[in-house]
Amino acid sequence: MTDDQSVDGLLRGAMAIFKRDFRKFLSNPFVIIMTLFMPIMYLIIFGNAMGGTITGIPLGVVQEDPYVEETALYLAGTEILSSYHQEDKPSLFLVTVFQDEHSAKNALDQRRINAYVVFPSDISPDREVRLYIDSSEYMIPTLVQSGVQGSLAILGAKNPLQVYNLYGTINYMQFFGVGVIVMAIFMATMMGGGIALIRDREMGIIEGYLVTPVKRSSIILGTIGSGTVRAFLAGFIIFLTDILITGVVMRSVESFVLVVLVLLLICVGITSLVVALSSRFSSQQEYASSVAFLNLLLFMTSGAFYPVLGMPYWLTWLTVINPEYYAIDALRSIILRGQGLEIIAIDVVAIAIFTVFAITLGIMTYRRTIE
Amino acid sequence: MFGNSPPLMAVDHVSFGVRKGEIFGLLGPNGAGKSTLIRILTTLMRPTSGTACVDSYDVGRDDERVRGIIGVCPQNSTLDIELTAYENLDFYGNLLNVDEHLLPDRIWELLKMVNLSDRAHMPVSTFSGGMRRKLEIVRAFLHYPLILFLDEPTIGLDPESRREVWQQVARLNTRNTTIILTTHYMDEAEKLCHRIAFMNQGRLVALDTPENLKKIIPTGELVEIGYGTLDPEVIPVIQAREGILGVEVHEPHLRISAKNGSRALPGILADLERYSVPVLSITIRAPSLEDVFIYLTGTGLEGA
Repeated sequence: MTDDQSVDGLLRGAMAIFKRDFRKFLSNPFVIIMTLFMPIMYLIIFGNAMGGTITGIPLGVVQEDPYVEETALYLAGTEILSSYHQEDKPSLFLVTVFQDEHSAKNALDQRRINAYVVFPSDISPDREVRLYIDSSEYMIPTLVQSGVQGSLAILGAKNPLQVYNLYGTINYMQFFGVGVIVMAIFMATMMGGGIALIRDREMGIIEGYLVTPVKRSSIILGTIGSGTVRAFLAGFIIFLTDILITGVVMRSVESFVLVVLVLLLICVGITSLVVALSSRFSSQQEYASSVAFLNLLLFMTSGAFYPVLGMPYWLTWLTVINPEYYAIDALRSIILRGQGLEIIAIDVVAIAIFTVFAITLGIMTYRRTIE
Repeated sequence: MFGNSPPLMAVDHVSFGVRKGEIFGLLGPNGAGKSTLIRILTTLMRPTSGTACVDSYDVGRDDERVRGIIGVCPQNSTLDIELTAYENLDFYGNLLNVDEHLLPDRIWELLKMVNLSDRAHMPVSTFSGGMRRKLEIVRAFLHYPLILFLDEPTIGLDPESRREVWQQVARLNTRNTTIILTTHYMDEAEKLCHRIAFMNQGRLVALDTPENLKKIIPTGELVEIGYGTLDPEVIPVIQAREGILGVEVHEPHLRISAKNGSRALPGILADLERYSVPVLSITIRAPSLEDVFIYLTGTGLEGA
């Protein structure tokens, strides 16, 4: 064979494979759109979710007891805090005035505010200004502290600033670690469970069940049950990792039980959703690209990486309907802040609504596929 | 009619009965509608018109009862290859509602029957195609079904494994189970089936025992005699014999169609002897089921 011939042969084979691959690529417009769409959405959502400036942090102000008269410092401080802002940005703080320290503390516990400033009473005007911060959030504590310091500096107040971190020092690993628990559940279920379900259907294994006398409801129950336990294990392993490696502390048995309950609730919901989704997609490829996109959307807007406060308004709407957000919020309350059911009730209700909706959807669509 | 688009009539006005305890074969080329028929009978698909009864239960109305008395072995393997042979059977035993106390014994009995008891705890992914097929067939038999459906039971198997599968099917049939199988291999149908239904393009072409089906062909059996030199005068003599349907000369062979080849042969040989035609070779060929199928439909079993 001459060199010319061998080069010809090389090109011919390469061209054949090139053409074949391209024909297959073009034969599935759905996957093409998703693969092109993904990076663009990454840019828009990732960019906005992570790069946003945090503004409008809810901040409480209160004057120390015994209260006689509003001090000059208190009045000036409240005013300057309300208008404190970085160049060309809206106000850093959304200031709420409290009548006494007790109600401000309550508001902080219930997470209506992220921090509160206590100005000294008019009896001893030279005492320190106290700042209480919910330290379980990422970025926000630092911003609050520098904002309050900056405001006092503008005022020229001589009072020292005493900072109290409500939940101790929480590093980013601990903040992010809680988000990863929920991410693990979503990833394990959507990628692992869903694709396995589609493969079973493609191979006719589900059809094999259908010619046996087994009840349709047994099939649904068994499928959702096994998926839920798998998802739970994925989340629970990350939870244990968080405890062992990032050093989060479980404060009580009650907290531990609460974590397990929240995990189970979200696992049933997400598994049912995946059962519904995987029943509607005919091919693994289409399912995988859609779910990768959905995962991105849910995870980015969940507040796992970055405080939801930093997102633009339009993106926070996704947060409101994002079950992952409520799950992460509930878990952070329990794990990082040691809070109980009374604080996470709203999250739990939101997750429960999602779960009930997902179970209904899952049963309806899966039933339709197997009948 | 069924399917999304375009609508397609896969099985069209097919009507037949299967007798209790027989092995009934649905024979036809790919796409003849065999699998569709099985899907309807096993409750996976609703017929758009007409009825089907399994035992005394109507398919479509008493699906759950039907599923309790049938065993199904689909065309494509649905074994879980990551699980062991035992685990696969145990799983289906529970789906099929086999008595929990009897299930382990039952599984071992069936594994022994197909010579897989020493591999019971090995994953199915390590099994050969024939072993998987046999395992899948007994899986459909865990609950002693009244009727066992086998869709192309030996497709893709080597000759040795095919024979083993056939033995297995015959063995299951001795336990009073009616077996309905589809195939496009005529030798399989001929060896196994008591009665055969020919299907082509969604229609039932013929239904009878293999022997009777072969009698449909009017040319009967073919006797082929190789000769040295031929005296043409012998031809009318042979033609005049009883039971001879036709004589043709295809140098250097005589092709004689006879109702019964082996019975006609001595007379033919005597005639040739008398006219001093030396006989070099003799072949008697009975028509195969494929010949019958081609005769009935004008197309072969491998599809038109």
